[in-house]
Amino acid sequence: MNKNQKNSRRQFLKKGLIAGAGVAIGGGLVAAYVDVSAAETGEKVKVLTTDGEIMEVDRGLLKLPRVSIAESHKGIPGRKFVMVIDLGKCKNARKCVEACQKGHHLPQSQEFMKVYLLQDSEKTAPYWFPKPCFHCDNPLCVSVCPVGATYKRTDGIVLIDNERCIGCKFCMTGCPYSTRVFAWKHYPEFDEDKEPYSPEASSPGKEGTVSKCDFCPDLIRIGKIPYCASACPMGVIYFGDVDEDTVTNGTETLQFSKLIHDRAGYRYLETLGTRPCVYYLPPVDRQYEVDRGFGDLEESVKERYKDTPYSKKNKQ
Amino acid sequence: MKRVFVFSLIICTMISMVFQPISSYAENNTDSTNIPVESRMALNYICSSDSLLLTATLSIKKGDITLALENATIEYSASNGAISKLLGKATTDQEGNAVFKISSAGLPADKEGMVSYSAKFPGNNKYPAAEANFIAKPAKIKLFFSIEDSLRLMKVTATQKNENGEDVAIPKETVNIYVPRLFSLLKIGEVALDENGTGTMEFPKEIVGDTIGNIIVMARIEEHDQFGFVQGENMSNWGVPKQYYKAEVPSRELWTPIAPLWMIITLLIMLAGVWAHYAYAVYELVMIKRLSKKNKPLF
Amino acid sequence: MELEQKNPLRDFSPQLERTSILGYAWIVFLLGVIGLGFYAFLAQVYEGHEVTGMRDNVVWGVYIVNFIFFMGISYAGALISGTLHLFKTAWRKPIIRMAEFITIIALLIGPCFILLCIGRLDKLHYLVLFGRIQSPITWDVIAISTDIFGCFIFLYLSVLRDLATLRDYELLQLPNWRKKLYRLLALGYTGTPEQQQRLNRATDIMAAMVIAIAIIVYSVLAWIFSVTLQPGWHSTIFGPYFVIAAVYSGSAVLILCMWVFRKIYHLEEYITKKHFVAVGVIMLVLAAFFGYFTFSDYLTKWYGSEKNDELLIQLLFKEFYWPFIISNYIGVLLPLLVVGIAKLRTITNITLTAIVVVIALWLNRYLIVVPTLESPYLPIQDSRAAWLNYSATWVEWSLTAAGVAIFCLLFTLASKFITIVPVTGLIKEEKKEDILV
Repeated sequence: MNKNQKNSRRQFLKKGLIAGAGVAIGGGLVAAYVDVSAAETGEKVKVLTTDGEIMEVDRGLLKLPRVSIAESHKGIPGRKFVMVIDLGKCKNARKCVEACQKGHHLPQSQEFMKVYLLQDSEKTAPYWFPKPCFHCDNPLCVSVCPVGATYKRTDGIVLIDNERCIGCKFCMTGCPYSTRVFAWKHYPEFDEDKEPYSPEASSPGKEGTVSKCDFCPDLIRIGKIPYCASACPMGVIYFGDVDEDTVTNGTETLQFSKLIHDRAGYRYLETLGTRPCVYYLPPVDRQYEVDRGFGDLEESVKERYKDTPYSKKNKQ
Repeated sequence: MKRVFVFSLIICTMISMVFQPISSYAENNTDSTNIPVESRMALNYICSSDSLLLTATLSIKKGDITLALENATIEYSASNGAISKLLGKATTDQEGNAVFKISSAGLPADKEGMVSYSAKFPGNNKYPAAEANFIAKPAKIKLFFSIEDSLRLMKVTATQKNENGEDVAIPKETVNIYVPRLFSLLKIGEVALDENGTGTMEFPKEIVGDTIGNIIVMARIEEHDQFGFVQGENMSNWGVPKQYYKAEVPSRELWTPIAPLWMIITLLIMLAGVWAHYAYAVYELVMIKRLSKKNKPLF
Repeated sequence: MELEQKNPLRDFSPQLERTSILGYAWIVFLLGVIGLGFYAFLAQVYEGHEVTGMRDNVVWGVYIVNFIFFMGISYAGALISGTLHLFKTAWRKPIIRMAEFITIIALLIGPCFILLCIGRLDKLHYLVLFGRIQSPITWDVIAISTDIFGCFIFLYLSVLRDLATLRDYELLQLPNWRKKLYRLLALGYTGTPEQQQRLNRATDIMAAMVIAIAIIVYSVLAWIFSVTLQPGWHSTIFGPYFVIAAVYSGSAVLILCMWVFRKIYHLEEYITKKHFVAVGVIMLVLAAFFGYFTFSDYLTKWYGSEKNDELLIQLLFKEFYWPFIISNYIGVLLPLLVVGIAKLRTITNITLTAIVVVIALWLNRYLIVVPTLESPYLPIQDSRAAWLNYSATWVEWSLTAAGVAIFCLLFTLASKFITIVPVTGLIKEEKKEDILV
């Protein structure tokens, strides 16, 4: 009996080892054949050279100029940037969020552009609310920074210098719009960016520092509007120079003063006195109903909105 | 044993293949024989008052993915069906665009004056050749500014050359009026041309120009069957002067690099007051030490 | 005849000369807790701040609560020593040193908690190099450095006499290096009238300064919160509120220290029930003030019922119900009852009340920092639990425990270095009838 047991155990072990070896080799074979890294998200843009060499570059981020930190303190001369967001067209497609994350090499957990489902009061209608940094003209975040790591430029853009930031997070409590994000650890996405750091690119990020939407000055310098504005399929986000009185969403170009006048543009939480530079157009004559915003979302994203009055009402 | 080995190898290979999404291409491996590779070319044409701008965009489509091709040499030529004239070459930038500018004179035109432009990518061992065509007839748009009855007006005329080389009006077209802005063109109006190829429009009141009111105005005929894109420009100083904040002296606010003066003064006064008292206390301690050297211990 | 007089130093010298087994065991225990804290700190340095419970909305958690708490305790010295010195109350004498030690030690530990909260410690010197005067944190850095320096000078001035006494006491059985240290630090003070005059003048000035500085420091700390626009923080009352809460917590910690040292070093003769009642009365008065300020703050928020204030109060009464009750009801009423009612006014009761007050005030700071951050203007719409609600992790609790342990350790070591009760004054006071009011 004993001998049999021993034998059967030995047999079992041997079989197990061989099976394990087979698994390892088989898995290795498949892995060698398939390019795993390229298959991950599939949304990277690769630029081909005529020799067939592929240079991997993020979509839209094609060799953008990166100015030094000292240069980034000076704004683009003669400009003052403003953004207009049309709430009547937003259906939470979240292409703005994703394009921004790709363009700035952000992990999934950091969003410079956030989309909220807001409902101002019980009987008013809910709406999707994309919120970038407002680049306020009276920026509390800049006032409270103890080391001057964040600064407002002459072109209105508020930037953060990662090298100077000590990570005290006072600016995050100073911002009433919850705009800033903190790098709680070193995210692998930061390593994707091999270029030298520039506050205008807000990339590569650094652990222990604060970052936020930067209105993409590196894109502006080559005549392009920010990632979010060009990525939005509905043309919700308009960007432009307010002194030039023009904003564009990539497709339409409109006169800013006329747009605000005709569509009753406003600024969010105006009474706080921060003087934001992002204007919103109220959702009049909506193109989509609110529930279209839940359409293709992943579960983890849908769950974000489960405590909103709209979701609670619809459960009943 | 052998059976077990082979069996497990097969099983796990199958499982791995189920769970590994296979990419349509691998890095540095450009030729996958079963994935079709297509070259695509697009050609844009703009006819200005003195030159033609041909912009070719070259991209490669592999399966589902379209990529711009950089550093490719594009050959431009113009023909009228019979004669073909090589115009020149240009190289694509990182977005796949190659821009080529030529003068509108000396181009082979057919009987109706149409010229066929083509941009060709000869192809190489990796990618197939691609070509795009555009047929258009040169035309000219002129823009004038005038004041009539204290109204500011813009007058647009569109002309083309006839067989004798004379300028003939283009009647009954729609011309869009634009102002070039930082990222794009802002449309400020539309003019309908009459039979004489002329149209007038009032200059809009609230258009911002540069700091002294100069503004470039552009008139374009767009997507015309015969003429393609035609544009003409002129500069006016009827724009509203652009006002942007430029401080003579750096401002001092809560959020500026330099603090408001009153803050600095208050801080200095308070610090000076406090540390002066500290200095006094330390002075007394020093004096105690000095005194001890003189005295004998009493206690 | 003077030599035959009873020398109280004989009572106190054993404290300085020997440490009992229990004392050593206590120090080893404290070192163990500090070691655990250090391990937690290393975990935070290597793995990033993700190991804490803080996330993008609640960016300030237990570390900042501890910072405010320890800074608050440091006010004990300013009050008891400073104010009572200026009023020349006699009964303050046995307890002033404890109060000043509390001040200094808490001032050394408090800022360390801020350092734990900072993302890039290697850039810390930027606070000095590139400090912006418009930032409340810069004000805080300046204020705290000034405060530490001032309190050091004040402590030094008040121990100077004892250092001289210890230097001159020949029967002291201590290693030579300590005796040399006493000689060095005593600055040759021999009690001559001129030296006494200088010492008194300096002490008077510093007592006034310490009070002023402590008020400024704590107000600046309050303004770090109240100048932001966060609902719940943007309150005009925060400056005085924080100052009162600080003094309140300081007095409670002082009572605890009095009780502990009285027990360990058998100081029943010097620290009597009258002292406990006196500090207890201070605690009672401050409890009343604290309750008044808290009530005033929440009444204003609740009555006006601005939307975000309402959300905050709802949050306080739902998720933070018990901490709110303990800190704002029990923490206010208990001292009023225990010290107010004659029958309840015993040393043990007052000490137990002090323990409850310390806990209540720590919770009060927690309730100021965390619930506001959990209810910002733009609702937190996130699916991850850690990002919706803050809960401190083992790293933060270990470091809190380590902070308390360092406080106890430094206090223990300080009490070994110099007598915990000022001795020189007692020798003189022996002649007077009653040293206690």
